[in-house]
Amino acid sequence: MAAVASGETRPRTLQEAQGDARGALLSVSNLSIDFVSVEGRVRILYDVSMHASEGEIVGIVGESGSGKTTLGLAILGLLDSPPTDIVSGSVVFEGKDLLRLGSDEMAKIRGTGINMVFQEPLDSLNPVYRVESQIAESIEVQGRRRFSNSANAADRDSKKIMTDLLRDLCIDKPDEVLEQYPHELSGGMRQRVAISMSIIERPKLLIVDEPTTGLDAYVQNRILGMLSDLRKAGGTLLYVTHDLTVASQVCDRLYIMYAGRIMESGETQSVLEDSLHPYTRTLIASVPQGYEDSPPLPIQLGEPPNPRKLPDGCKFHPRCPYVKDVCMKEAPRLVEVVPGRYAACWKVAGEDGKYSRD
Amino acid sequence: MENTVEIEHLTVSFASKRRTSLFRKGARVKALDDVSLTIKPRETFGLTGETGSGKSTLAKVLVGLYKPTSGTVKFLGRTVDFKKKGDVSYLRENVGLVMQDPVRSLNPRLTVNEIISEALVASRTFPKKKYDERIAFISHLVGVTPDLLPRNPRELSGGQRQRVSLARALVVPKKLLVLDEPTSALDVSIQAQVLNTLKKLKSELDMSYLFITHDINVIKYVSHRLGVLFYGRLVESGDVHEIATEPKHPYTRKLISNVLTLKRTQLQETAISEHRPAPTGCRYRLVCESAFDRCSEVPDMADLGSAHLVSCFLYGGKPSS
Repeated sequence: MAAVASGETRPRTLQEAQGDARGALLSVSNLSIDFVSVEGRVRILYDVSMHASEGEIVGIVGESGSGKTTLGLAILGLLDSPPTDIVSGSVVFEGKDLLRLGSDEMAKIRGTGINMVFQEPLDSLNPVYRVESQIAESIEVQGRRRFSNSANAADRDSKKIMTDLLRDLCIDKPDEVLEQYPHELSGGMRQRVAISMSIIERPKLLIVDEPTTGLDAYVQNRILGMLSDLRKAGGTLLYVTHDLTVASQVCDRLYIMYAGRIMESGETQSVLEDSLHPYTRTLIASVPQGYEDSPPLPIQLGEPPNPRKLPDGCKFHPRCPYVKDVCMKEAPRLVEVVPGRYAACWKVAGEDGKYSRD
Repeated sequence: MENTVEIEHLTVSFASKRRTSLFRKGARVKALDDVSLTIKPRETFGLTGETGSGKSTLAKVLVGLYKPTSGTVKFLGRTVDFKKKGDVSYLRENVGLVMQDPVRSLNPRLTVNEIISEALVASRTFPKKKYDERIAFISHLVGVTPDLLPRNPRELSGGQRQRVSLARALVVPKKLLVLDEPTSALDVSIQAQVLNTLKKLKSELDMSYLFITHDINVIKYVSHRLGVLFYGRLVESGDVHEIATEPKHPYTRKLISNVLTLKRTQLQETAISEHRPAPTGCRYRLVCESAFDRCSEVPDMADLGSAHLVSCFLYGGKPSS
């Protein structure tokens, strides 16, 4: 892959390259969010820009504390303020800046515009209602919005919609499941019920937060296959996960996050096969490969930083095998290193604008 | 050399909480059904299976938390009588346990130093004078830095907590370490560091591992031999290379084919969503694509050579009595 610019031209920053994002269904620009408590302010998202076009599956990959879930919640307007404080930035969805909408207008977008599947299905399902009444509630909300002018009588037959959908999600006996309470279902079932509640409203953008964590491999793959199919129906997906192997299966593009920042982004294939950022390489090296007699996994000791005690300069430098003096002093900006590929690293986008790759 | 663990025809059953009548006890549910396996010295035996397959039940039997309903457990050649207190403490002296949840398995009111030394106090055999020396030695080995010792577990990260669990399990020298999903609660880059530590430890301390996880990538990377459980029955066991490259049992084949790597694969289209175990006969037959009429009986473990055992009529299994 050739570098986009030689020494003379300055690399475009992500903001300058927002032309890519124009016309995107969702575009987040320079979003910074603080968490305010008695102990002071802590920045949990730092100048995050990303976009998702229609029909695209975009992966947000990072470990715990990287800010990936906060980003999802911010897009959906679900962050309470206080304690969170949106310092700057915009979240533009279909031409509207969601951060400037009133709560009534935002409520209209939630559900049919943007919807979210949360990480822990037991927490997002109501324990005292049967599955049927919970899914029915979603249909009712959608019905009020979408079918008020529609004469499609068949669509109003909610029971049929529900059983069909659950069968699509590979539940053999949907009628039985509809009669059950969330605690009677297995983890995989619950997650599928939660997914069905979100997709039944046919949102334009679906945010899924770790939907397959803790599930058995074949159930996970089934859910992944089903989520990929949503794209064929024109849906756009924001896939939030810590698991690079999962993201590599379904996502078209990836954003790699660390300590509230985007470290690298680009098309999935090229991010995985030709990673620019050392953190991305750490994530890739962490996937166990080989057998008992294989060498140790090539990874340095270290943990993600405490957001209250972030290191100076690049936030990854204490764990980085390529650390230089400049990395400890100044944080690198996210710049376009090769067309469509962004990285925030002094090593790949040098101080003088020259690129050095190994 | 004698085997570290020999388990023969181990069955553990529990009374189901679901009663049909107030005056009748619930039906017995078999969490483990006729499981036989051996763990050799310095070997890592990987045990995998889905949620509810009985993986953790086996772990708890090996530290004497559950008693077998039938079957025998031999540890270093000695048959353990679970009714005798002495035998159970013999087991606990020699078997360490690391649990999945690094938050709930550490006492929040003790410091790391107290948590680790508690194990030494409980062993009663360790001379008090040598506590500090031993704690320093083991902490260094598992990667608990000295500055962590005076802290409380809540001040530690997940990876650090799991290292403290490891130190507690190993501070009294053990012959077997049971690791029940030790890395599933950790971030991927932390998991990789803990796996590296575990491998290094085993070469330095003379012991065997029973490594329990649902993650096939992890189990392939750490184990010499592998056992696959399906609803309480061991359906396949043998050398990890052999099972990973040529899985025999239809269930193992399904598990192996669903393993994700960083390369994009065609996601498997499975027709059946949930694995319901059959009440009689081969437990897998209700969802098995190759099921035929013989499967209404329970197949025994057929040896395919080089100790690769499969419980399936497709591979010459005979009905077990």
